[in-house]
Amino acid sequence: MRYLIFRICIYLGLAFLLGGLFHTQVIQGQYYMELGDKNRMRLIPVEAPRGRVFDRNGNLLATNRPAYDIVATPEDVTPDVIKTLSAMLTLSNEEIKKRLRSPREYPFAPAVISEDISQELAFKIEEMRPDLAGVEIRVSGLRFYPYGETAAHIIGFIGKINKQEYLDHEEKGRYGFNSMIGRAGLEKLYDEELRGWRGGRQIEVNAQGKLVRVLSEKNPDPGKDLIVTVDLEFQKRIMELLKDHHASVAVLDIKTSELIAMASTPSFDPNVFVAPGLESKRLSFIKDKEAPMLDRGISSSYPPGSIFKLVTALAALETGKITPGTHFFCSGQFRLKPGTSPRKCWYAQGHGNLNLYEAIERSCNVYFYNLGKLLTADEIAHYARELGLGKEMEIETTNISPGLVPDSAWKKSHFKEKWYQGETLSFAIGQSYLLTSPLQILRLVATIASGGRSIEPRLLRDPSIPPDTSRVAITKAHIEIVKKGMLQVVQSDYGTGQLARLDFGTMAAKTGTAQAPPLNSHAWMTGFFPYEDPEIAFVVFVEHGGSGGIAAAGIVKGTFEIWKEMYGPKVA
Amino acid sequence: MAQKWLKDINFLLIFTFLSLTAVSILFIYSSSYEEPANYEMRQLFWVSVGLMIAFMIPLLGYRTFLNMSYLLYVISILLLVCVEIAGHTRYGAQRWLSVGPVIIQPSEFAKLTTIMALSNFLGSNYSWEREHKVIIGALGLILVPMVLIMKQPDLGSSLLFIPMLVVMLFVWGIRYRYIILAFVSVATAAPILWIFLKEYQKNRILVFLNPKLDPLGAGYTAIQSKIAVGAGGMWGKGFLHGTQSQLNFVPEHHTDFIFCVLGEEWGFAGSCLLMAMYGILFHSLFQIISHTTDVKAKLLASGIIAVVFAQVFINISMTIGLMPITGITLPFVSYGGSSYLAVSIAFGLALSIHKERSIF
Repeated sequence: MRYLIFRICIYLGLAFLLGGLFHTQVIQGQYYMELGDKNRMRLIPVEAPRGRVFDRNGNLLATNRPAYDIVATPEDVTPDVIKTLSAMLTLSNEEIKKRLRSPREYPFAPAVISEDISQELAFKIEEMRPDLAGVEIRVSGLRFYPYGETAAHIIGFIGKINKQEYLDHEEKGRYGFNSMIGRAGLEKLYDEELRGWRGGRQIEVNAQGKLVRVLSEKNPDPGKDLIVTVDLEFQKRIMELLKDHHASVAVLDIKTSELIAMASTPSFDPNVFVAPGLESKRLSFIKDKEAPMLDRGISSSYPPGSIFKLVTALAALETGKITPGTHFFCSGQFRLKPGTSPRKCWYAQGHGNLNLYEAIERSCNVYFYNLGKLLTADEIAHYARELGLGKEMEIETTNISPGLVPDSAWKKSHFKEKWYQGETLSFAIGQSYLLTSPLQILRLVATIASGGRSIEPRLLRDPSIPPDTSRVAITKAHIEIVKKGMLQVVQSDYGTGQLARLDFGTMAAKTGTAQAPPLNSHAWMTGFFPYEDPEIAFVVFVEHGGSGGIAAAGIVKGTFEIWKEMYGPKVA
Repeated sequence: MAQKWLKDINFLLIFTFLSLTAVSILFIYSSSYEEPANYEMRQLFWVSVGLMIAFMIPLLGYRTFLNMSYLLYVISILLLVCVEIAGHTRYGAQRWLSVGPVIIQPSEFAKLTTIMALSNFLGSNYSWEREHKVIIGALGLILVPMVLIMKQPDLGSSLLFIPMLVVMLFVWGIRYRYIILAFVSVATAAPILWIFLKEYQKNRILVFLNPKLDPLGAGYTAIQSKIAVGAGGMWGKGFLHGTQSQLNFVPEHHTDFIFCVLGEEWGFAGSCLLMAMYGILFHSLFQIISHTTDVKAKLLASGIIAVVFAQVFINISMTIGLMPITGITLPFVSYGGSSYLAVSIAFGLALSIHKERSIF
């Protein structure tokens, strides 16, 4: 009985299918046959407008401008049309044919003949369209960066999707053969958010390829806008200040973890990567020996030099090896053991007898060699990592350099050699294998300024990101000792950073002059302002700039003068 | 002697099997002859392997397979786990496993081994004893492969386990009250399941309800395949003369959408022919069921009918827009080694049931 019911169900199911097929093929057959007749149905994808990028004050950093493109449906194009087009566009017949043959996403999808043509030419072609079968003018949105190189490293740029990228993306609806895709910076990292969803129309056309009616339509869903934390005006003026250097400056609001400025020079014009027909300019940027594409603040790491003495001091305090009153005598040189070759202090005459505050203030190498003798490399490395060196950053950009904090295990795995105590001495003053990016130094100094709060610099205004609340595992009292040392760097007449001293408030900082033989040293300066209840942290890095106390301090002073003009009244 | 041997062969079943295979080769050729890949030659290879296996199974006897069914079931589950770990991603889903030069799709075999295990399990228990415990056991048997396949993600294939279970429990003798209970609980569970679907799966279902929703993605395929089938009309455009499917309007036209090619080139007449072939296939399988007294054999054949029919029904319904688009192949006809081998084994089992039928 049950088998009979089952059997009847199966036969009824087959009959139902036959009914459905009869309806589709016989009753509606004529309609579908006409629709399916190969020239009658077309699919026209419509790209979604890409989200814009604003600075903190609402200035547009990345937007879309209208551009006219010539497109043609190859199936409708006749040889005469190619000839006419060739004359109008000064392109060879072969070139046009080649473009018509380029791979397409759908049958009867239009191929792009020429992008971003002048308005006059577009109108001229529009007038001639009765004679240009299959040719159309399409208005598209072309990415445009109104401020060019000012924030180029932060925003990044987009480029045309390549075959592999197209295949890699599963959600085919979002990416077409001619779609643009983020290639660097925020454009790359937030490509998903910025790009939106493509729409499209399925249309019925007549034998001449003209629209008869729209079968179905879906409007594109525009991408989301982004707001960056940077103040464009501030950034622009810092870029002017850095014009002749290879340098990086970053200024951070300690209370909110927002970067107010993040400048790197030399820079590049991202528009060159977006506008069609500028391949040679793109190549010149990519191949330029000055490396304008490189964000010196984030994507590259350098020895931090004496800046690192802050970490060594904290390591010695935390491990209980010294107190702020511990004195060492600087004769201008230091020997690890009698008979070994001497290491020099930068001040050849010697600093004499110093306590920790004075050692930071004058950046005495001998004092820190003594700390290096008391500490192991692994202890220093531990505190360096606790303060975020050698660690990835969460900042919203691409190509983030992780830097390098060496220790004995690292040396063993890389050189198959044990760590020598002499190397600990170099490590203690920020040389040896140690590498940090300027933004990591900024994160470190912001953490010190806030008395030990872990601070992750942010580039994007995003209320969904929780504020930084966790703390580093370092005693607050020890951090305060180091802060006092940093105050003296600027305020004391013996301080290495006194050139950056301001007339409208007290700043605390540390300079660094990192050896980079055979070229000139890298100049560093990092600090915070004001000393009491710090509001902003900064880092200045000048590649092969020479002395930190001169080259970097000058830029710090310049930056703060701009800052005072723009934000001054609030503090003064 | 020869007479006895001839009696053991179910010629009607073999005839429909070979006819469906012939149709398959023809339309795999038609759908891909303009492409460099020789899909029809590759399929011919699988057909020869499949036929060899199918004719060898009666020599071993289906009882051997039922006795090993739990082992085979565990092996196929392990293969599904392998897919999860080391699977091959195609079109965004991990459904394939590379074994040397061959890529297999373990979900095809899992369906078959689950039918065998279920037949063995249900056949060893009577429906009037401990009924609810048996039902829970059967549910457990299908849920493991179902969840693993759903995770690949291959929603379509995983849902095939439902008609399998429903039909097998039904013919086993489950009480009607359980069937009613199941319908009610599915109706309430559906909205909860919805939350766990992937975005594209939701899209497909929504697009099914309204094809105009997404003319570029799933809706595009839905409209195009319907146009292709409809354009075939009464008599079709003639073999190799289809334009919709040939011109790549319809994606996957040698696998999931192969019916578009047949529908377009042979029209409603061809559709009737294909439906007739499936009809004869099911008819001869039901004949086999009525001629055996072995409950397990009956269950096995019923499970095979349920899954093959569900696939035919879903596949053809989706090409004419009566169901959402899922990655379900047309049994015997779609291109694919694993799918063909699985139906060959099922076919071999049916031949064996026929051979060992009780003579009355």
